[in-house]
Amino acid sequence: MRELRLPEAVAEDMVAHCLEGRPNEACGIIASSDGEVVKVFRMTNADASPVRYSLDTREQFAAYEKLDQERWDLAGVFHSHTRTDAFPSPTDVREAREDVPYIIVSLAQDPATIRAFRIVKENWTDAEGDIQEIPVVVEG
Amino acid sequence: MAVEVRIPTVFRKYTDGRSTVELESGTIGDLVTQLEGRYPGMREQLLTPEGQLHRFVNVYVNDEDARYLDKLDTKVSDGDTVSLLPSVAGG
Repeated sequence: MRELRLPEAVAEDMVAHCLEGRPNEACGIIASSDGEVVKVFRMTNADASPVRYSLDTREQFAAYEKLDQERWDLAGVFHSHTRTDAFPSPTDVREAREDVPYIIVSLAQDPATIRAFRIVKENWTDAEGDIQEIPVVVEG
Repeated sequence: MAVEVRIPTVFRKYTDGRSTVELESGTIGDLVTQLEGRYPGMREQLLTPEGQLHRFVNVYVNDEDARYLDKLDTKVSDGDTVSLLPSVAGG
């Protein structure tokens, strides 16, 4: 993937969810249809923590069911960094399991910054992975 | 009628890109064995060397989390849908 194109409304929805989640990290997924990002699924951070997140698995299950019904694809996973840059933390790398862009919304500055990365692992259970940035293009 | 198993993107390189696989009814453990028979390497993706579900995998039978049922011994019948979900987490 050369770049991740996000409609402005999608970017705004992700940032709004992250701002509402403060002081904890917020998270969710985005879905695409024929390569176009069409939907943000806001999810509960099951860890309810300012330094950790995990998708609530029941909400994740329901969202994946919706993807299946609508024939959408999982286009990315997003979460916030409330006080640090939009770059994968060691925990992000260790815990990365999905083979899709991991989008990080940093709230450390105003306005928020959005960057996306692929965490490439030989095996999905590996703790180590290579970080590859995917340029994010917000389309107004 | 069979059991439909939904495969997340992370495992599709093992399933020739298939997002769903139809298997015979049994327990979830039986399904893992069938998956391994059809797609070698899948067992290692789903189970620890001790034979337990990886903590990174959530298994839903219809809309119930198998961790709160009988885990690998959970019975799955014809017509049921089994969804494999990778845990999504970080910091």
